[in-house]
Amino acid sequence: MIKALLQITLREWKRILTRPEHNLVLLVIPPLLFFFYAFIYNKQQAEDLPVAIWDEDHSPVSRQITFLLEQTASIHITEQVSSQAELEQRMQEQKIIGAIHFPKGMEKDIKSRHPVSVTIYTNAASLVPGKLIYKDASTVIITAGSGVNLQKFMKTGMPQEKAMALIMPVSLTVYPLYNPTYNYQHYLVPGLITVALQMMIIMVAVLIINQEWKESTMEALRVTARNSAGLIITGKTIAHLTTSWVNFVLMTGVIFPIFSLSHPGTLWQLFLLFNLLALACIGIGIMASVIASDVMLALDAGLFYTSPAFVFSGFTFPRWGMPWYDQYYASLMPYTPFLDGFFKLYFMELPLRYAMPEITRLLLFIGFTFFIAVFFLQIRLNKSVRYAITP
Amino acid sequence: MLLLREVKLVAKDHSLLLTLLIAPLLYAFFYGSIYSYKTEEEVPIAVVDEDHTGLSRLMIRQIDNTQMVHVAAVTNLAAAKESMLQGKVQGFLYIREGMEKKVLSLQQTNMVLAVNAARFLPSSDVMGTITQVGLTVGAGVRLQYLQKKGMNTEASLQEVMPVKPDFRPLFNNRTDYGTFLLPGLLAMILQQTLLLGLAGGVAAERQRGSLFYEEKNLSSALWGKGLFYLILFSCYAFFFLTVNFGVLDLQLLGNPWELGVATALFLLSLIPMGIFIGLLFRSQLLCTQLMAFSTYPIFLITGYTWPIQQLPDALKVVSGILPITPFLSLYQGIVQQGAHISDRMPELFHLCALWLFYTFICLMKMRKWA
Repeated sequence: MIKALLQITLREWKRILTRPEHNLVLLVIPPLLFFFYAFIYNKQQAEDLPVAIWDEDHSPVSRQITFLLEQTASIHITEQVSSQAELEQRMQEQKIIGAIHFPKGMEKDIKSRHPVSVTIYTNAASLVPGKLIYKDASTVIITAGSGVNLQKFMKTGMPQEKAMALIMPVSLTVYPLYNPTYNYQHYLVPGLITVALQMMIIMVAVLIINQEWKESTMEALRVTARNSAGLIITGKTIAHLTTSWVNFVLMTGVIFPIFSLSHPGTLWQLFLLFNLLALACIGIGIMASVIASDVMLALDAGLFYTSPAFVFSGFTFPRWGMPWYDQYYASLMPYTPFLDGFFKLYFMELPLRYAMPEITRLLLFIGFTFFIAVFFLQIRLNKSVRYAITP
Repeated sequence: MLLLREVKLVAKDHSLLLTLLIAPLLYAFFYGSIYSYKTEEEVPIAVVDEDHTGLSRLMIRQIDNTQMVHVAAVTNLAAAKESMLQGKVQGFLYIREGMEKKVLSLQQTNMVLAVNAARFLPSSDVMGTITQVGLTVGAGVRLQYLQKKGMNTEASLQEVMPVKPDFRPLFNNRTDYGTFLLPGLLAMILQQTLLLGLAGGVAAERQRGSLFYEEKNLSSALWGKGLFYLILFSCYAFFFLTVNFGVLDLQLLGNPWELGVATALFLLSLIPMGIFIGLLFRSQLLCTQLMAFSTYPIFLITGYTWPIQQLPDALKVVSGILPITPFLSLYQGIVQQGAHISDRMPELFHLCALWLFYTFICLMKMRKWA
């Protein structure tokens, strides 16, 4: 049995290395795609976004706030506008992403104790840059307002400490854990790579069995496996699982170190989780390959099933913000529990026990899909034997 | 003739039928439904209240009353941390003992907010909301102080916040994720299903050795075959902009005719691009496999989600040869910002240039095989 298993595994490795629909997807595309993803976010954070100033006050205060705005990471003052219509027009022409309006008489109003509003306009159709500009601009304006209040209170003879307490009675210290600088490369690239990996494994696994029938090579394989579907699937699974290790090494040994994405001490936990994802994906692929005998149809089904994994998994948009049926669909994909576990083991660097619910769900995927695949393949193999005996 | 030939070809091929006739509609509703609530709400956090006073309870109530944050548990520090580590909450707020006492005696006090920034959207929304609640409470404290000092309500209200930011997000008033992403997603579905189907179909023809342009005028052959896709995907584009936009409650702010021109140019540049890609492959299987991996990389470098100026120069070049890059700029301008086509003339010329470019290289490739 061991000999037969080894033969099937070796045979599958040969198929992987000689067939373009296997080796291109499993061995050539991954390095290209992974570097591409890492390269997109090489700048890590969006900076110096074009912002206009609409200054109707032309006062030292407005100039001072403008100076402070320019000092922030996201804002780069590129032009002056003179009306809301003009700033909207400039946004429509994509010359600016945001604008700050200082109303006429701002300085005078501040001095005469009339509250003023400094308006922050952003092009919210471009959500990411718009939010960055809002965050930095509002911080500057709130700080400026606090400065005005501080001066006022101190002019009344109040000690600085007390004045500070009145300006911000309850201060907030924020600890953004696990990605404190909101680095886009650190956040997105590992997710994009792992979602590509699950897609690659499934897109090849859907061809593992049906191609054998299509190319009439199943009979030889059946003889090698002594008519055991379990042996065929185990041998092929070992070959594909070990091939996926090449990509794990590429991810954790090449891409992560080059782009400083490594989280020391997480390697073995990640390896375990990755193997479970790979096995779940192989299981799903083989199950589809056994059930759908049309190769192209199986591929299309695999494509339809895997391509939404990234958005459904809740990586960018949380699952609790989706309707219940989408949350249900997300739970039918192995990438969803993998990602939840990946967050805990890789980003948060937690011990393995925290990922046990996700590991259990992946094991359920593996158990179910392999059982179905072996069951149906065995039926088909038995049929083919009967057909061979009594044609 | 070629149009009819194409109809028969698609009808006979299960894979093409699925990719060209079912996938666009299915994907549009399927992906669209994810963002149908448009924005996330009720992000769960834990609160550790060691103060147990009226002020701390008021603060917790105010946070829980916001649309964005849901106080899932008021507990102790260890349980709050554990809850975050298990992924049950996205962060926790720690209110120290003596907060109210300090505030009443005009001493500054401090709260600590720890958020799980491994996920961007929930953590930034939680931070923004709690910062806002903290500022509101601070303004309330100042108001009370000034009133105690004898200032009347109107005067003290003016004193509380002398300079305040007034946020006006344009073109997406609620700054919600769905309104931002959905139009781009629908355009991406249009492109990818067209490219997958068309390139896959051409690769299948090459595999069978029955290419569509044998002994024919190449240009007529290109557009004879392309006409089927132009008509089909124009119908899809119209369907997306009417039915899907209606279902997903999206608005078209600009001129529909201008959008029609931009979409037609987009499809016209995609057709030779798709045929050219298909001619690079000898197998439909391989073509479909490889095209499937192009979706995310293409979307990420179009400038829709990440500013194009922030891309490395090499990727700016790659982005520049994709018709979807100028199209998305035109489309986003017209659909989401009410811009006119004349506001984005460089993108219009860019798209026209890509149409000519892909027609040229497609004809060259066809000539080689003919």
